[in-house]
Amino acid sequence: MNILSGLFWLALTVLLYAGMRGLHQRFPRPWLSPLIVVPAILMAVLLLARVPYAAYNAQSHWLSAMLGPATVAFAIPIHEYRHVIRRHWFPLVIGVVVGMGVAVFSTVWFCRLLGLPEALERSLSVRSISTPFAIAAAPQMGGQAELAAVFVVITGLVGMVLGEWLLGWLPVRTSLARGALFGAGAHAVGTVTAHKRDTEEGVISSLTMIIAGMLMVLLAPWLAAWV
Amino acid sequence: MASLSPRLYRFARLLLQIGALIVIWLAAVQLSEHWLHSLPPTVSGIAIALVLLGLGLVKREWLTDGATWLLREMLLFFIPVVIAVLQYRELLDGKLLAIFLVIIGSTACVMIATALAVDLAWRIEEHFRHSDEKQS
Repeated sequence: MNILSGLFWLALTVLLYAGMRGLHQRFPRPWLSPLIVVPAILMAVLLLARVPYAAYNAQSHWLSAMLGPATVAFAIPIHEYRHVIRRHWFPLVIGVVVGMGVAVFSTVWFCRLLGLPEALERSLSVRSISTPFAIAAAPQMGGQAELAAVFVVITGLVGMVLGEWLLGWLPVRTSLARGALFGAGAHAVGTVTAHKRDTEEGVISSLTMIIAGMLMVLLAPWLAAWV
Repeated sequence: MASLSPRLYRFARLLLQIGALIVIWLAAVQLSEHWLHSLPPTVSGIAIALVLLGLGLVKREWLTDGATWLLREMLLFFIPVVIAVLQYRELLDGKLLAIFLVIIGSTACVMIATALAVDLAWRIEEHFRHSDEKQS
């Protein structure tokens, strides 16, 4: 019986995702993204039916388990565009270091300014990197993986809108800078936006995002003691 | 049957490629658990794949379809993690506006600083490229 209810939630998640992805392809509005609509529907159903999260996650955790292999898949774009890394290693390194430094420190300062508790501050500090990396880095920063995942999603949506607007008046000339802006500021969501604007922008954005994610995971234990 | 088999073949190949990426991930998990404790599998998994690709032991075409599929459907894998926020309702209660302000403010800072820094770095890169060309 337990297995069946667990499988029911797993199946419902996959089916809702497949349905909403189709709808989003037909009506590409940011608020119709499966990442907003599907969790919203499922959370409403779980709350109304008074189903605890543990029951939902009994089998659904298999989906989260796929985030690991998905990070391995990031090796493919790195290998494919290694000539871009070799040619532009300097701006890429600067973009990643500046982007991640500003992300962590500005988040912590804004949190303290607004009086948010440390548990939230720690989870928010990794919000600029792609979700699988953020889930790995959040506990090391002293935050919660699940909260970090939600903040990462919100960051992506905010960054997608903010990025286009900022590029309207920021005095940047190179597609390197525009790609780095999306990759450092809005991870995978930004990368999709950058790809739509220009192929080179998209490549730089995805490289910035992947390198930034790996760097944050490696540096999180030290950063946690530092901020 | 004849029209189905190429699709079946592609599907089997996709499953095999995803399986290969899962095997690399599991190897990375073992590596961090038993030998390199400070190297998280999210990093070592990418490193293992890059070493295999770099040495030519694995061809990129062998993994491309599986990798593209995993990255394209990654949103699905986030969903259970996002729903877990239900467990943190008390912590978030009354703080949503402040959280939004932090995210908007900090994301703007990150984007402006990164774009200006990279533009400057590109100019430095161009400068050295031209001076290298003059020397040679």
